[in-house]
Amino acid sequence: MADKTVFTPDMKFVRELREAGADTMKKCYQCATCSVVCPLSPDDKPFPRKEMVMAQWGLKDELVKSADIWLCHNCNDCSKYCPRGAKPGDVLSILRKSVIQENAFPKFMGKIAGDPKNIWQALAIPVVLYIIVLAVTGHLGIPEGEVVFSKFFPVHYIDQIFVPLSALAVLMFAISISRFWKNLGGSSEMKPKAAFLPSFIETLKEIMTHAKFRKCDESKDRAVAHMLVFYGFIGLAITTAWAVFNLYVLQWESPYPANDPDIVALFGGSETVPMIIRVVFKIFANISAVALLAGGGLVIANRLKERGVETVTSTFDWVFAGMVLLVGATGMLAQMFRVLDFATIAYLTYFMHLVFVFYIIIYIPYSKLAHFVYRTVAITYTKMLQRDVEM
Amino acid sequence: MSVETILIVGGGISGITAAVEAAEVGYNTILVETNPYLGGRVAQLNKYFPKLCPPYCGLEMNFRRIKPNPRITVYTMTEVENVSGQEGDYTVKLKVSPRYVNEKCTACNACAEACPVETSNDFNFGMDRTKAIHLPHEMCYPMRYVLDRDVCTDSSCDKCVQACKYDAIDLSMKPETVEINVGSIVYATGWKPYEAEKMDNLGFGSVKNVITNMMMERMASPNGPTKGRILRPSDNKEVKKVLFAQCAGSRDENHLNYCSAICCMASLKQATYIREQYPDSKVVVSYIDLRTPGKYEDFLNRIEGDENITLMKGKVAKIEEDPGTGDVIVTAEDVEGGEKIYEKVDMVVLATGMVPSVSEDASLNFEENGFILAGKSPGVYSTGVAKRPSDVTSSIQDATGAALKSIQSLVRS
Repeated sequence: MADKTVFTPDMKFVRELREAGADTMKKCYQCATCSVVCPLSPDDKPFPRKEMVMAQWGLKDELVKSADIWLCHNCNDCSKYCPRGAKPGDVLSILRKSVIQENAFPKFMGKIAGDPKNIWQALAIPVVLYIIVLAVTGHLGIPEGEVVFSKFFPVHYIDQIFVPLSALAVLMFAISISRFWKNLGGSSEMKPKAAFLPSFIETLKEIMTHAKFRKCDESKDRAVAHMLVFYGFIGLAITTAWAVFNLYVLQWESPYPANDPDIVALFGGSETVPMIIRVVFKIFANISAVALLAGGGLVIANRLKERGVETVTSTFDWVFAGMVLLVGATGMLAQMFRVLDFATIAYLTYFMHLVFVFYIIIYIPYSKLAHFVYRTVAITYTKMLQRDVEM
Repeated sequence: MSVETILIVGGGISGITAAVEAAEVGYNTILVETNPYLGGRVAQLNKYFPKLCPPYCGLEMNFRRIKPNPRITVYTMTEVENVSGQEGDYTVKLKVSPRYVNEKCTACNACAEACPVETSNDFNFGMDRTKAIHLPHEMCYPMRYVLDRDVCTDSSCDKCVQACKYDAIDLSMKPETVEINVGSIVYATGWKPYEAEKMDNLGFGSVKNVITNMMMERMASPNGPTKGRILRPSDNKEVKKVLFAQCAGSRDENHLNYCSAICCMASLKQATYIREQYPDSKVVVSYIDLRTPGKYEDFLNRIEGDENITLMKGKVAKIEEDPGTGDVIVTAEDVEGGEKIYEKVDMVVLATGMVPSVSEDASLNFEENGFILAGKSPGVYSTGVAKRPSDVTSSIQDATGAALKSIQSLVRS
């Protein structure tokens, strides 16, 4: 033969996949039922059959370049019809986790946040950090009087921790994603046919409506749960941005008094308008938190539910689902205990809340939450290739 | 001293072989069959692979060996009700259902002409109809009509009795219980086709022009519902493009977790039926792996040489009907080409697998897929497809072996 293709199986990668829970992949005998029953798979070079053989052969270099694994929304129609119990749905989910870790910058962060075994270390970092900050500034202790969280952990300290660390996380994420983008581009003979911007806008529209997610036959209910978490997060991001705007632009320290003369003056002497804004702000924040909690609860309920197809949720996924729920729950509880004036428990819950928020935000480039960027980027890329299914 | 008789349960090609082989070396055999005829699944086939000769040739030779041999007793329409005893001395209760037609029958068809009731023809998988009184099929052994009393609409109707000039019909026949004494037992109970309706993505039952491989055998048989013409069910149109969907429910943990061993060769064989009948026809065989072991590879090579036959790696996972034309739209991933294909064909043949006919019996041990390993007590054996999925040739060889084993059991006990 004139042309020779030499594959070098990466046995370590195969082992890692199996340890992460993709141990069923070896059962696949390449019948391609999965590629046909998948409602999201394109006609040309459909997935997940080819990814299954790549995973079996340990073709890590190919898989890290795959945009297709991000088109999969884990609806598990493939796993239901799989004649061998190879569970392509679960395998692809673990491949996505591997790609997040593979592109992670710096790598060791990917290892810490990506391996569920390290959860305690990952949580210990913010705990230690907070305690040091509080001790050094002389805030270690439960403040007297009315429960005001900023008395316990001044907002400025929080911001001084979170703003630079978040900026760092964003930077690291940007590096990881640029690696990913470069990998995608080097993936195949397929060349982009469409421009970036229209493809990106199209992708955003699709994500906002969850159009792809809702195409899944086997587990439509998952789209609802995901949508709640998704909009919960967006709502809380807006809330945070609002608070930051109040604090740093308007110089209103939260909780700002509605009868503050400066604020009242700003609204032409009316105390009602700032009061309404404050109430709306609170309601908006609470609705977002409830959406997050309800969605998180549903995600877990759906994963536990018997779905006519046996699927395994990887520990990586469980940790993230749990974390979402914990952020929501500690936030709501902290607010509740504050209102009820249970000082000690309120401050402790608030402390825990900050630990979980740290986990979610600072580990964003390495945790399951990273999928929101990876997926957006990959879908945009497939739209540029024009190999996406009709919506 | 043991009873010098062997009971063979199942009168298909395996059971017949075991009975004849044992009888021809001097042992008494009792051959029990539930159908009103011998020959089992082989009787339904159009051609054997790989020689593509008619199965009736082989069956007739065996019937010719049974007929004059006083050591072979044949019971048709009979089931084994109970087995007791031990190796060398089993007592078996047989339940014989009434045929309502005795040995005076000359197969003149006068009764069927007079019969007012039609019923679905199971021998042809419901693709045509027969009268309540009918000949099971043209070449059946024994060559005798049978009355399906369950479908007679009027219990007082005796039009068939009136029409028979030979006094061969007796409506007063009753079920009988026969008790026999045997030294050893061979289960050659064979198989039934897997129920194709169970694959909800393959359209059988809802897409009219989707048939099974066994239906194809009947359709292609000169004594079948279309007298051998391969026509699609919805409009009796000649088929110009046919797709064979391999492993339809086989090697699939949701259906049959094993390979039925014969479907690849059966589909390749059936491809020749279509190619011979319609020289301009096209055939696609969609497979996971083509399992044509040993000398069957020569047959595969021959098929590959036909440029109108495409062998495509990739399992069919979706079958839909084109409502306007009745054509069938098949979706698969062509694994070698790396893209999804949407084939529009006249008819689809599902290569459905073999399910053991007997998969529950307290006196037998079964393997994980439900095939019979052997009896729980010694002197009880299985053979043919009752034991494992296999083709006719291997079944016959295995049955000869089973005959020897059962003889050894008699000699031993």
